[in-house]
Amino acid sequence: MSAEPLASNELPPEAYVASLAGFRNMNVHRLGALLRHHSPEEAWQVVLGRRPCSGLIAKVLVDSDVRKSWRRCAQERPPEAIWSQCLALGLQVLPYGHQRYPAGLLDDPFPPPVLFAKGNVGLLAGRRVGIVGTRNATAAGREVARSLGFGLGTAGVHVISGLARGIDGHAHRGVLAAEGEGRPIGIVASGHDVVYPREHRDLWEAAGNCGLLLSEAPPGVPPEPHRFPLRNRIVAALSEVIVVVESRERGGSLITASQAIERNVTVMAVPGSIGKRASAGTNALLCDGAAPVTGVDDVLTALSLQNTRSAVLPADLRARPRGEDIAVYRVLSAEPRTIEGVTLALGFSLVDAAMSLARLESAGWVAQADGWFECVGSPLR
Amino acid sequence: MLAAVRSATVFGVEGRPVTVEVHVSTGLPAFQIVGLPDEACRESRDRVRAAVLCSELVWPSCRVTVNLAPSNQRKGGSGLDLAIAIGFLAAHGQVPVSQIEGLGFVGELGLDGSLRQVAGVAPMVAAMGDVRPVVPISNYREAWCVAGDGVRVARTLREVVDALNADAPWPQLPDGEFVDEEPPLPDLADVRGQAMARQGLEVAAAGGHHMLLVGPPGSGKTMLAQRIPGLLPLLEPDVSLQATMVHSAAGVRLPAGGMVQRAPFRAPHHSSSMVALVGGGSISLRPGEISLAHGGVLFLDELGEFAPSVLDGLRQPLEEGVIRLARARASAALPAKFLLVAATNPCPCGGGGPGDCQCDEAARLRYVRRLSGPLLDRFDLRVGVTRPAVEDLLASGGGEPTVGVAARVGAARQRALDRIGMVNANIPASHLDSLAPLHQAARELLRDQLERDQLTGRGYHRIRRVARTITDLQGGGELVLDEHVQMALSMRVRLSISSRERAA
Repeated sequence: MSAEPLASNELPPEAYVASLAGFRNMNVHRLGALLRHHSPEEAWQVVLGRRPCSGLIAKVLVDSDVRKSWRRCAQERPPEAIWSQCLALGLQVLPYGHQRYPAGLLDDPFPPPVLFAKGNVGLLAGRRVGIVGTRNATAAGREVARSLGFGLGTAGVHVISGLARGIDGHAHRGVLAAEGEGRPIGIVASGHDVVYPREHRDLWEAAGNCGLLLSEAPPGVPPEPHRFPLRNRIVAALSEVIVVVESRERGGSLITASQAIERNVTVMAVPGSIGKRASAGTNALLCDGAAPVTGVDDVLTALSLQNTRSAVLPADLRARPRGEDIAVYRVLSAEPRTIEGVTLALGFSLVDAAMSLARLESAGWVAQADGWFECVGSPLR
Repeated sequence: MLAAVRSATVFGVEGRPVTVEVHVSTGLPAFQIVGLPDEACRESRDRVRAAVLCSELVWPSCRVTVNLAPSNQRKGGSGLDLAIAIGFLAAHGQVPVSQIEGLGFVGELGLDGSLRQVAGVAPMVAAMGDVRPVVPISNYREAWCVAGDGVRVARTLREVVDALNADAPWPQLPDGEFVDEEPPLPDLADVRGQAMARQGLEVAAAGGHHMLLVGPPGSGKTMLAQRIPGLLPLLEPDVSLQATMVHSAAGVRLPAGGMVQRAPFRAPHHSSSMVALVGGGSISLRPGEISLAHGGVLFLDELGEFAPSVLDGLRQPLEEGVIRLARARASAALPAKFLLVAATNPCPCGGGGPGDCQCDEAARLRYVRRLSGPLLDRFDLRVGVTRPAVEDLLASGGGEPTVGVAARVGAARQRALDRIGMVNANIPASHLDSLAPLHQAARELLRDQLERDQLTGRGYHRIRRVARTITDLQGGGELVLDEHVQMALSMRVRLSISSRERAA
């Protein structure tokens, strides 16, 4: 996959960058400063203390702990080994300024000094929407993420997300289910060979094979907590629009939103019931002026791909509820309830409520978790 | 100068007869006990000597040898004190040897000659066979359960000696304090709301279905579980005898009526060790909590906090109704047929409605994983419990009292027993079609569940058994209707987090 063939005795400069990026105590600023002033091979000599240096790196190298740990890292992560690992994984190593380095990151306030990409980097030239949200999503939130992903994928828009559990993962599942030109673009915090979360291995591979999987970390780097906010800034920088589906009053998706605002990226949010904890963050965004998303049309309009909301509603193939089931559905659409909650609200017997809920669940109008029932899918009209 | 006295020790829930042989001879003054006594047993030398002296009897300066036969089995505990003392007195001629024929002695001696109660009198008396047992007065009830009115009681060693020497009659049997009055069990009328959980309790009691209560803290899981014994019928005579033996062997106080007749309720704390739960100990193999719950309810609150090895120890008894404990020198089978009721929070923070949980996914996953696996599979019922609604708490009248529910439970149990002679939870899968035939609509419902992967094969059989119980509770028609199957499905909540669980 990589364009650079390995010369007989000589490593390409990217190999040194790939190795340096995985050092302990290395960060965006330090690596950026190193590579601004030195070529990759020189930078390698600098961190080993074999070449003089100046500015930030000189200050950093005063610290003997850093010097020691960098020497150790240089032994543990020789460029040859890292480079052959990258080749084996089919990774493209894109240092800042590389001809295929994403244009959207070139003028970023904190551009990643190097990116590791698997898949089609050319997708970043297409239309891109980031879908982010909480990992503790409600069934309704997951359904919204999936349908937005599906709608955008059908319209040929690529969906960027962080491959986390909850909203992120479901947005990608939606776009993978769509038959349009839209592709999943995953931005991850760990190395390409460290799948996290493990249950998203399928999404991870799908993004690498039929979309794009980007990481700032070289192979072998574990998903350390500090890497996730850094990952979020790339999600924000590469998206034209960020849609927050569900978020609590604090959370990673709000970090993504504020970084998007810093970069003049449009932030949109899916409104939720004001009592719902999972919607506290998105409702706060709406209060602060984010545009509301009530369906995929709103996102497409924000991308100027469409200037009207489609008048024709997509056909709902689910069997319409009848009789008392409608009353049960209405009660649930206000808030999730247990069977008992339904009996209290409507005065049904337990058996009637259970039967009605079972009919609604089997038709796909409600979903159950931990004994709680909540409405899913587009609302009953 | 030789006397043999019959007594017994307890091992597991069974007594083992022991013959105490005492030989008194001239020689250097000494007092020796042979025949593999344990520490408590060996110390009886000092107790017996002091008790004999304090009872104004004679302790001569001669050589006393005590043998506990059969001498190749370990003997534990202090229950042999009385037999050793009587054997010594008979061998020394202070009590006529002919008088101890046909009697068996059990009891611990105090230094002042008083008789103290010991654990396991009921199985010991049973093991001694065709003799009239002499026991401390506080052990009278247990002995009476086995030997009836042939029991002799005494408060002190002196009373026994006087009776044997015909100086005084045997002390009166205590009939005055023999009243059958037990504290009332907690009543279901105290439970407000909780319609689903009430239904779950009723089904669990009627069908013998193991139940897991899932709900946030403060939703009343423990309160609900404590009300199950009130719903269960009184124990069958043979189960009652087994339960009495277990309680006696474990040294747990028996009810005023003597026999354990009400379904026991045991709720060990989640820090309990494996041995505390399944029973053990090197010499006597004391019955554990699961055996004490025989015939009744074992309630495990905070199921996920129990050590995984402890919970795995429950699998054999859940399957077979007995726990077989083996040690290097001996093994024993203790009865352990109980209704398992467990409670757990849905996640570490306690959860609540969707989106309320504050735990991250990894924490939830870890929590649910501790529960999952083979044990979770044994629960026929997984009932969600929610905090009661405000209107329910403020409402004046309580719910339906225990009496009414227990009547329905009793009738349903009787139907099941008439049908196949066991509770519905134990119906073999091969008999389900003949014993719990499905109505056409019910069959469709189950087919739909199976096709949508909401139910596995094992879950399918469990649902059918529970549905059979629900049918029995509602009058016991021949066919199982779709609404009964649906209720059974509703009482098997899916724990949201693990997709593996979802299918179970």
